Amino acid sequence: MTSFAVPPPPLPTVPVEGSSAVFPVRRILCVGRNYAAHAREMGADTRDPPFFFAKPADAVVPLPTTVPYPSATSDLHYEIELVAALQGGGENLTPEQAIELVFGYAVGVDLTRRDLQNAAKAKGHPWEAAKAFDASAPVSAIRPMSGLPPEGAIFLTANGVEKQRGQIADMIWNVAEVIAQASHLWKLEPGDLIFTGTPEGVGPIVRGDQIAGEVEGVGRLAFTLV
Amino acid sequence: MTSYAFPPHAVPVVPVEGSPEVFPVRRILCVGRNYAAHAREMGGDTRDPPFFFAKPADAAVPLPTTVPYPSATADLHHEIELVAALKAGGENLTPEQAIALVFGYAVGVESTPLGLSRVERQAT
Repeated sequence: MTSFAVPPPPLPTVPVEGSSAVFPVRRILCVGRNYAAHAREMGADTRDPPFFFAKPADAVVPLPTTVPYPSATSDLHYEIELVAALQGGGENLTPEQAIELVFGYAVGVDLTRRDLQNAAKAKGHPWEAAKAFDASAPVSAIRPMSGLPPEGAIFLTANGVEKQRGQIADMIWNVAEVIAQASHLWKLEPGDLIFTGTPEGVGPIVRGDQIAGEVEGVGRLAFTLV
Repeated sequence: MTSYAFPPHAVPVVPVEGSPEVFPVRRILCVGRNYAAHAREMGGDTRDPPFFFAKPADAAVPLPTTVPYPSATADLHHEIELVAALKAGGENLTPEQAIALVFGYAVGVESTPLGLSRVERQAT
């Protein structure tokens, strides 16, 4: 029996729709700029290969009702995303092999300290302070399903006003391609969550704002920023 | 008792010198450019505040004898670092409060594919 010098951290988990078993989160990878219009609003060439950043596994806020406003920012942004949850692993996968890893899909919000991200971009610094903070990954329950996700709409409202809307079919790199590309940079394992990018319309939110997001055929989430 | 959809991964651990106990790794934070000469060779202004990046907790290779050469790079670099291990937490700390969190220290090597690092900086 392992004896720990300090109490080990609890394993982050996400509920699974229709099951009492939970999904243990190992890592969270996120894709930048995977919808053409959002890439344009952020100033990127839409034909670039996908790039990735990460959040800590315990940044997940499963089934959020409230999410704390983070420290060190005055420009917090929402980014609604389809999240792929992996039950298998591997490296150097083809898209056909990669899609076989999918356990199911969820809806997530990639919360971003945009002011810190802009400062990091200006200095060529890494994005962790902007992207990898505590409670930066609110996520719905995972809906088990295999293969590519349903090609419905993805949208987000703030205080009942629609802010983001896109189509899963409009991803620059589809889920199979995203997982395959990631597997060339990291050995993927069961428990990995992959945030697959956000459509256009990102913007600031403040304490008290009510955020709701949905991916048709996958699920929805709603929380208040406190 | 929690039921998992599949077997969860083990918590990453690092041995503790002189103890049968192990240190469970929660997160790995790294400071960029914290020595003046290295900051100059990477083009940084030595008076900038520190900036941070992260590694996955399970990227730790405790007591390494071999380390695999990673994929997707042709320019892997070594960066020797002092590693502080924390036994407690907190936020908005003063340096006096912060130093009380230390459990101990280790030696680490941050292996950086600099080619990818440069690509990232250009792309973002």
